[in-house]
Amino acid sequence: MSLIAEAIRVRYGGREVLQGVDLAAEAGHVTAIVGPNGSGKSTLLGALTATLPHEGRVRLNGRDIAGMKPWELAAERAVLPQASRLAFPFRVLEVVRLGQQAGTAGDRPDVPLQALARVGLAHHADRTFQDLSGGEAQRVMLARVLAQVWAPVEEGRPRWLLLDEPVSSLDIAHQLQVMEIARRFARAGGGVIAVMHDLNLTALFADRVAVLAEGRLLATGTPRTVLTDTILSRAYGCALRVSAPPPEDVPYILPHAASA
Amino acid sequence: MAALTDVQAPPRDRLSRARALHWALAAALVLASAASLEVGATDVRLSALLAKLVQGEALGQMERIVLLDIRLPRLAMGLLVGAALAVSGAVMQGLFRNPLADPGIVGVGAGAGLGAILAIVLGGLLPVWARDLAGNQLVPVAAFLGGWGSTLLLYRVATRGGRTSVATMLLAGIALGALAGALSGILVYIADDQQLRDLTFWGLGSLAGASWAKVAAAGPMIALALGAAVLLGRALNGLALGEATAAHIGIDVQRMKAVAILAVAGATGAAVAVSGGIGFVGIVVPHLLRLASGPDHRTLLPNAALLGATLLILADVIARVVIAPAELPIGIVTAILGAPVFLWILLRRRGLVDG
Ligand SMILES: Nc1ncnc2c1ncn2[C@@H]1O[C@H](COP(=O)(O)OP(=O)(O)OP(=O)(O)O)[C@@H](O)[C@H]1O
Ligand SMILES: [Mg+2]
Repeated sequence: MSLIAEAIRVRYGGREVLQGVDLAAEAGHVTAIVGPNGSGKSTLLGALTATLPHEGRVRLNGRDIAGMKPWELAAERAVLPQASRLAFPFRVLEVVRLGQQAGTAGDRPDVPLQALARVGLAHHADRTFQDLSGGEAQRVMLARVLAQVWAPVEEGRPRWLLLDEPVSSLDIAHQLQVMEIARRFARAGGGVIAVMHDLNLTALFADRVAVLAEGRLLATGTPRTVLTDTILSRAYGCALRVSAPPPEDVPYILPHAASA
Repeated sequence: MAALTDVQAPPRDRLSRARALHWALAAALVLASAASLEVGATDVRLSALLAKLVQGEALGQMERIVLLDIRLPRLAMGLLVGAALAVSGAVMQGLFRNPLADPGIVGVGAGAGLGAILAIVLGGLLPVWARDLAGNQLVPVAAFLGGWGSTLLLYRVATRGGRTSVATMLLAGIALGALAGALSGILVYIADDQQLRDLTFWGLGSLAGASWAKVAAAGPMIALALGAAVLLGRALNGLALGEATAAHIGIDVQRMKAVAILAVAGATGAAVAVSGGIGFVGIVVPHLLRLASGPDHRTLLPNAALLGATLLILADVIARVVIAPAELPIGIVTAILGAPVFLWILLRRRGLVDG
């Protein structure tokens, strides 16, 4: 089972922001989308989730999403947006329930708290969402998304997590925690697509990497084949060297070296 | 990382509190209704009448008329209008994702008013068959259309890519209200004497003209709008997360918005058509309920109907007793009670407008 996008084009006004992007993500894998600011990563996610009008075809577990109702899509995949603002003073647990009700585990009373526990926030269940710190809010939104697709595989069909920069405002420990959650979801048979800016975490946790630059796909493959000097330097427009320790005596901290 | 003990302590559940509140509010509505039947300009008292009935005495002609043809329709209209105003406020706030959005404040009430005045003044120009077809629904339907048009326009102006600019919404509301008010003013000039009397009566925002005919005119549309609104609970909860996320959790956002706008226009239009512009119910009621039991629209909407009806009936009782035997227009009472609450909301959360 897979999530396959073919020849995706998206236009904003006259400007073509995605110029025919193909992407194939397999269930069981963590697929990372990387690329510079404005390269079209969130836009691609918008097309994959049927939120943006686009040309081209997207098939989710073999079905064209163009013919699927919002609630059918919600049962198969959950989406974490890059930023969220909540309009009314909902409590943390209530926010997670909003996600849960959209999925197929909607009637299990234990799921929301378990989802919160997974992101390390069960003790904040009673707090008002609007009062949370940026990182806490991001993790609550992840819990909401997890509660929606609680079982990575259901009736033989994988569920999908589509995450737009899931670790962007997290400290290093929680970055690792969240990436570990994504990996476990994939290992259990679910599909994960994550837009990433942190190339080290991408190298550590992604099974496949797609590099986007200026609305086109520059490269796809395993982290080993894609995260190279040439490709990264071209994508980001600055000279980058992979696996090169800094020349001077400055400390550097890599997630690779962390242990739980 | 999370201790597992956290999982075992279930947090307090506001949903059950909101459901308990439901029954408390229903009881309050019954009490307010009794009060509304009890007091009035004439010395007819519900309690005395009930005592009479218990003793097997028949009611006098006058008592009958006061109770059945004056107070009861007035109570029914207060109930309908109060529920309609509070629910349309709550729906509009959910739709615009802002607790300050209220049909009265953002010009939708004025738009509905313009529709109603058009129907009152120019309705006579319609061909007879059309007037017969519309029957007692002519003024409510015209008010609904006016409210609908102004809600659509407001939504267009204030919302870009699923995000509402609060400043734009409030300012556009002022402009819309002024425009509708000016057009209504022109119509007042060309109205004849009888129409003028209708208009003044109506424009003050009052339940004084209550009759069974008006209840019958507004009732069906309000019932329809409230029924539609109450179905929107889950969708409006989702919309609180933003339009894109609402779609991601399975909500048909376009359809939901269309239904919400129709419900707001229907409830506001019918309420305005029979009672004029009664302000602040739509903003105060949902706000109090959010404080009491949280913002979950699945319970907020039905509770708003109950509390709105209760408060409007009580405001009407106040309007009838403070300067008895004369009475105040109810719009004055709701403004005196409601405007300070509105300012208090602003004071507590300045970020609502700047943010
Ligand atoms: N609603 C919009 N209207 C016009 N242009 C837009 C809109 N949304 C995005 N764009 C433009 O499309 C391009 C791609 O945006 P997108 O959000 O997909 O970038 P991104 O790769 O996610 O960037 P980032 O890393 O900063 O999140 C950008 O140049 C952006 O300015
Ligand atoms: Mg982005």
